[in-house]
Amino acid sequence: MTTDYKEKIGELVGIEVIEKNGIDVEKLRKLLLAGVGAEFFTYYYYTILRMHCTGRDGEGIKEIVEDARIEDRNHFEAMVPRLYEIGGDLPRDVRTFADLAGCPDAFLPDDWEDIETILKVLLEAERCAIRSWGEVCDYTANKDHRTYNIAQAIMQEEIEHEAWFVELLTKRPSGHFRRSFVGQSPHTMGHGGLQHL
Amino acid sequence: MIRVCSVSDIKENSMNKFTIEGKKEILVGKKNGKLFACDNSCPHRGASMHKGVYKDNNVVCYMHDYEFDIDSGKLTNMKSWKKSETWVEQNPAWRASGDLIMYDVEVKENEVYLEIRPNQ
Repeated sequence: MTTDYKEKIGELVGIEVIEKNGIDVEKLRKLLLAGVGAEFFTYYYYTILRMHCTGRDGEGIKEIVEDARIEDRNHFEAMVPRLYEIGGDLPRDVRTFADLAGCPDAFLPDDWEDIETILKVLLEAERCAIRSWGEVCDYTANKDHRTYNIAQAIMQEEIEHEAWFVELLTKRPSGHFRRSFVGQSPHTMGHGGLQHL
Repeated sequence: MIRVCSVSDIKENSMNKFTIEGKKEILVGKKNGKLFACDNSCPHRGASMHKGVYKDNNVVCYMHDYEFDIDSGKLTNMKSWKKSETWVEQNPAWRASGDLIMYDVEVKENEVYLEIRPNQ
């Protein structure tokens, strides 16, 4: 937030109230930047992983990977406006953004012909995302209601994604069926910039 | 010096989160009978250190399993993300991390006090 901005409109009440509740806004900006970075780059790497889901085994999971891929992009879209509301921003250089992402890059493994290996990479990415948004939820609960509301919606979908990949890897019984449409994001669709849904 | 808690509040092999000065989160733990205190944010990506576990003389962050020495705060083990040999290692810039910020601990009359310097 620039000094000029403050001189024109004064302190932002939306920030004032969360600071009074004990939120360190600079810390929250870093947590959100890490979280949206993880979503953005997961979307990118899932595109590559999905392209390699071929053959009799791969075609069966391709559409599930696609559901997770588009919903991760939606998570980025849902939380980025909140990052800017609290005075944060996205790095100008995408290379910087990649280095600040909260989760490792979900690189295509060398033995990608083995679909199980791809599933394990997907599973690890979802697990990291759950921890990352769990951190935001824990930090903002009862202190920053708006950020919490978005983060917990994202986390619900990340937990669902983890379950999908666990079920594919283990044949654990499941209540999961396909989304109604790709990128449905049933929990986050009301947040952020998701007008395209 | 800032009072944080009583000595009896910190059990052996525990890691406890406290909020001081309204919003600063710190961890106070006890390992091998010795109290230590550090910032509760992992220097790698800001995860809460009190959710971690002990491994030898290190505290292990639950987010990416990075290990920090509880005496010095030094990063002692930067865990690889690779779950198998066929996985590709992460970019060094992504893996890089500073050390854990440590605070001096003093016990007076069974109360735990911390020394937090201005640049901490």
